[in-house]
Amino acid sequence: MRLTGFPLFVAISLFCALGGSAAARPPYGGTLHVEMRAAPTSLDPADASQPDWSGYRNLSSLMFDTLVSLDARGKPEPALATSWKAESGDQRWQFFLRRGVTFQDGAPVTPDVVAASLRRTNPSWKVFSEGEAVVIERDSPAPNLPLELSLARNAIARREGGKLSGTGPFAISQWNPGKKLSLVARDDYWGGRAFLDAIEIELGKSFGEQMISFDLGKTQLIEVAPEQAHRAIAEGRHIRSSAPIELIALVFGRDPQSPEDARQRQALALSIDRDLLSTVVLQGGGEPAGGLLPNWMTGYAFLFPTSIDLAAARQVRSEIPHTTSWTLGYDPADPTARVIAERIVLNARDAGMGMQITTASSADLRIVRLPLISIDPQIALNELASELGLPQAKSAFASTDDLYAAENKLLQSQRLIPLLHLRTANGMSNTVRNWRATRDGSWRMPNVWLAAEKP
Amino acid sequence: MPSANHNAVYNSRIPQMRAWSSRFPRAACLCVLMLTHVPVILASDWRAPEEQLARKIAAATGPGAVTLEVVNRSSLSRPEDEAIRRGLSTELAALGVHFVNADQAAASVQITLSENLQSYVWVAEIHQGNNEASVVMVTTPRLGPPVVENSTVALTIQKTLLSTEENRILDVALLNGAPQHMILLEPESVVLLKLQDGRWQQEQSLPLSHSHPWPRDLRGRLALRKDHLFDAYLPGTFCRSLTTAPLALNCYDSDDPWPLGTDQSGLSAFFAPTRNFFTGALSPGIEKQTTVKAFYSAAMLPREKYKLWVFSTVDGQVHFLDGVTDQTAAKLGWGSDIASVRSGCGPGWQVLVTGNGDGAGESVTAFEIADREPIAVSHPAEFNGAITALWTDSDGTGAIAVSQNSETGRYEAYRLSIVCGH
Repeated sequence: MRLTGFPLFVAISLFCALGGSAAARPPYGGTLHVEMRAAPTSLDPADASQPDWSGYRNLSSLMFDTLVSLDARGKPEPALATSWKAESGDQRWQFFLRRGVTFQDGAPVTPDVVAASLRRTNPSWKVFSEGEAVVIERDSPAPNLPLELSLARNAIARREGGKLSGTGPFAISQWNPGKKLSLVARDDYWGGRAFLDAIEIELGKSFGEQMISFDLGKTQLIEVAPEQAHRAIAEGRHIRSSAPIELIALVFGRDPQSPEDARQRQALALSIDRDLLSTVVLQGGGEPAGGLLPNWMTGYAFLFPTSIDLAAARQVRSEIPHTTSWTLGYDPADPTARVIAERIVLNARDAGMGMQITTASSADLRIVRLPLISIDPQIALNELASELGLPQAKSAFASTDDLYAAENKLLQSQRLIPLLHLRTANGMSNTVRNWRATRDGSWRMPNVWLAAEKP
Repeated sequence: MPSANHNAVYNSRIPQMRAWSSRFPRAACLCVLMLTHVPVILASDWRAPEEQLARKIAAATGPGAVTLEVVNRSSLSRPEDEAIRRGLSTELAALGVHFVNADQAAASVQITLSENLQSYVWVAEIHQGNNEASVVMVTTPRLGPPVVENSTVALTIQKTLLSTEENRILDVALLNGAPQHMILLEPESVVLLKLQDGRWQQEQSLPLSHSHPWPRDLRGRLALRKDHLFDAYLPGTFCRSLTTAPLALNCYDSDDPWPLGTDQSGLSAFFAPTRNFFTGALSPGIEKQTTVKAFYSAAMLPREKYKLWVFSTVDGQVHFLDGVTDQTAAKLGWGSDIASVRSGCGPGWQVLVTGNGDGAGESVTAFEIADREPIAVSHPAEFNGAITALWTDSDGTGAIAVSQNSETGRYEAYRLSIVCGH
């Protein structure tokens, strides 16, 4: 039998011999060089002032852990807490800590330290230790508390003598605020030592600077602007994108002041060509958004229309005796926002409404980037509402219908007009292995390993 | 909507309290007959959400004439999509909603089969007259059935799916007997299952204690024993099943060497307790050779007067040791994992080798080694994801391969055997 098929087997042998890299087990070691746009001046998870949320979250996950994390489907799973239970109608929660975990400085993780960390981030919560557990008491039922605790801002940190220490897979070896962060793998990490020995992160680098460094081989992992991801792939770079995880929206400074104001906002929403913004301006790096949350998160986002309806926009406009010429603001440091603003002004004009773009902070409405900070739709929606200063919905929804109704209510406030949901993208060299693409673009760095450069 | 479970507890599984059957053999051997095990095909039952959505629609439209359109925006397959359409039509008809052309309809209903991370989301938009559309929806959990593939050509590697688990499976041992049993080694437990009515039913779960964090790319090995049921080897930890009933596990810190190859191969090697490879120190050694380069896996091929050991070393090379010489082969394109299998085909033994794994899937190919020259003797057996474990089973008639399905993320344990002929 073997002889009859011999040529075939020789061919297979040759293929195996000459084929690409083998499925080798991951080797430990190496330093990963990273560049990022984020330029945080503080690494404290409780510091809510950091502008680049996505980048900050990824940095934080290298050094800090949360009590609870979310699995790929958004279900809570143990992290620093191994179990938890609710009492008193979800107003009182007990979280039981993983034993034997230490901070980077060697101090043990105790309920007292965890409680202090959570109190700092959430001053309105009553958090205290009780035996082996951390107890959190809320003013009202909080059935989604484990989901809230998975947010990066609720990462556990020990603050002692002005020094910050986490329990994460990497320890800080050098920190130059806003410029450079050096990390080394912790051998005693409770989740198992990371494959990498170290990570060197250059901060505050623009997309352009990052791409140049990447092409020169100075860095192995960069961020890529969503609108440049397709081109980067076409040019042969290895790019991984998330699902749409950031909302770009027009946000008004205040509620509609009159029925005419409300009608004009409706006309503007109908006049915007989101498909063009998505395909031309963003080069497929995003999706048209009619709602606040993307369809992968809710399953119903298609119910919110995204198509331009100029005839309807003109009809609504014609019913308004006197329209206001709005000013449309954008962040001057965001070139994509400017292009979007210019397109929206043209769309508004087509519908018979005047509009001017400005970089002043006093604009009537602004183009705003709103990160969806959890893959859980309830948490994401409530955080969006909080960010926009809108009333938050009730703390938990019994059904998808309820979530839909809550999102619909936020949209009907007419405080914002959704435009696009954007992806995040990373470029990485061929030596970066086992990079697991996540829905929300979050890093799973402890599992990443470096392959040897091919000669 | 998904929400955090009340009173959710995520400790290790609670051991099942069912005692061992007295008929269960202590001296277990591998179950070749498992090759005949037929994988179970999970059929989804859509009746509950169909009924639920139909009731919601009928509550909005009342009995009467409607137009119905169903759009699939989800990952449901076409047959599933069609089955759901039929089911919804049936349920609606039972509630007095019948279907007509648009010009005769009092309402139009558009149903969209959508999905989110955790659930299928079925949405019905109901238009009646000039009223604003009303929207109703139902959700039902998403399931991922296991996928089984079989090679059908050349000297064939036969794959038999044994188990799919959310948890990483480190090794599997099959036990002959009536009924048949299977042991799964997982990072935090050893699970005993019984084959009943063609399905594996969990019989007992034994928590596995360890004092140090597991290293990444965790590996572990089960070894069946004659005087007790099994030993489990993990990095820096050794566990032995106790002979008392019900079955229990005694685990302790240990750097004892792990057995390589089959029960009869007689060679063990020390495993680095905080890494994913063997240090290279052998016990007792191959004749006078007591060390080799640090390696990921080893396979033994019996020769007439000696045993040829093949090592896949950490530096990407393959070493052949026969007790006297250590020959090196580079650039074979082999993966890290190898395991020998006694097939009875050709020279009797082959080496299974993980292959080229740059894509989403990975493969295992059988090789024969004549005079240190490996020749592929089978087509690759394809897997739906990275292979995380490949161990020769206790009697050497097969190997256990575990892969992580790149689509579902679940771990799939297969028994691999080699079938002679085409």
